[in-house]
Amino acid sequence: MNDTARPDTKILADPFPDARRQGRLLAAECRACGHLFLPFGPVCPRCWSIDIGQRQMSGAGEVATFTIYRQSYHPDFPAPYVLALIALAEGPRLISNVIGCAPEQVHIGMAVSVRFVPRGDQVLPLFVPVTSPARNPEIQGDTP
Amino acid sequence: MPRKAVITGIGHTAFGRLEGRSVRDLEIEAIRLAVADAGFERADIDGLITDPGPAQPVIDGIEPHYLALGRQLGIDPDFVGTEVLGGASSVSSVQRAVMAIEAGLCSVCLCVYGDTALSASGSFSYGRGAEAAFGFFGATGLHALAAQRHMARYGTRPEHLAEVAMAARAHAMQTPHAQLKRPLDLDGYLASRMLAEPLRRADCCLISDGAAAVVVCAADRLADLATPGINVLAMGQAHSLSTIANADHFDQTPAARCGPATLARVGVTAADVDVALLYDCFTIVVLMQLEAYGFCRLGESGPFVTGGRIAPGGELALNPTGGLMAEGYGGGMLHVIEAVRQLRGTAGARQVAGARLALVSGHGLGMNTHASLVLGG
Repeated sequence: MNDTARPDTKILADPFPDARRQGRLLAAECRACGHLFLPFGPVCPRCWSIDIGQRQMSGAGEVATFTIYRQSYHPDFPAPYVLALIALAEGPRLISNVIGCAPEQVHIGMAVSVRFVPRGDQVLPLFVPVTSPARNPEIQGDTP
Repeated sequence: MPRKAVITGIGHTAFGRLEGRSVRDLEIEAIRLAVADAGFERADIDGLITDPGPAQPVIDGIEPHYLALGRQLGIDPDFVGTEVLGGASSVSSVQRAVMAIEAGLCSVCLCVYGDTALSASGSFSYGRGAEAAFGFFGATGLHALAAQRHMARYGTRPEHLAEVAMAARAHAMQTPHAQLKRPLDLDGYLASRMLAEPLRRADCCLISDGAAAVVVCAADRLADLATPGINVLAMGQAHSLSTIANADHFDQTPAARCGPATLARVGVTAADVDVALLYDCFTIVVLMQLEAYGFCRLGESGPFVTGGRIAPGGELALNPTGGLMAEGYGGGMLHVIEAVRQLRGTAGARQVAGARLALVSGHGLGMNTHASLVLGG
């Protein structure tokens, strides 16, 4: 282990970077059994069919679990920031960040929706709280 | 008639920051101690299973770890291997040795863990695959996701995590070779630096330099047939190879399958376990395993550990050395070694009176792997 082994912070082997640039969140769809899954892979993990297509997700979901990093491990990620497992409304789950609110406001079960954010030469699907203005008047923008 | 394998030798180096020691040097010291403890000599060894620590290469170019170590030992064994189950590798190395001996492939097998993770440069804040794009670094963040869910679902509190950390520190005070002999109280725990909520520095295990080795042999090959060795009563593994996006990944580790199945193989339950050596990379992992193995019910591990139940003198003898959190990071081999000491009755101030049944667990990678041993004197 040495300092030159700095983590690669690119999304590896993402087959559809263009979709994200167009603001579309895709999941893999098994054409045999209908299972929706992430990350993309060559085989359906539920039925082992290799007939895999894609389906656009609504972008709505909720926080299944999360952590607030209070320690920074990489210069591109100053603490604090929220890393979360997001359960999409259609079923698939993905690791992402919750932005657009104070980290302390994030909770399990919180309703969120996707927001595509450029980061370096990538466009990443991040998530913002679904706000009810009456309930959370302080949340306006989408900046972290 | 199939041969029976028993554990007959244990040995380890000091654990801590061991400047100037190479990993090979440490591994060889542990091996020499374990082989001498078993009453064997170099020529008796015909099996070698290695568990390279997190800072060691499993394979260096085309040279696997057992070969890099084996070259130095000058042995030509009949059976070799290097385990790649992360934190479950020490337990699985002993399992592989038992299986090889009982299948007749070798007779006297070394199982070796070693690392210089503390004095090696760099850190353990590695990116977690593609998800590093979202700032997912290190094992702490991963286990924090599990801890956060445990807290939300079951009402587990920081004070419950603290019980695990405080018990480990208190146990280490009775362990002469422990790396971290400094008591921890609740105020100290709560003041510990937050890394990835809800996990603090005090929730994490140590990083250590050190090596530990175990000798497994066929019962008919014991050097001293009057000393019967430690019986391996049951073994088990369970793994979760799906991604962390899987629905229940953070709700239970594969221990939930491995634990009950392994105990059932020998017809016992958690209540029969005299001493438990549970892999303790993070406090939350201890809590989740207490539930998985049936020491308490699902979701009740927080209240279960409250009031010193796993502290020295408590109702459950758990990690009497202080484990990964305070004795030192020994992969899991130090857990196996303490189980052997307890069953031999040679654990000194830590001895659990009349210990006859020991449970040892290993947990590894991204909460993907789990392995168990049930040992009996």
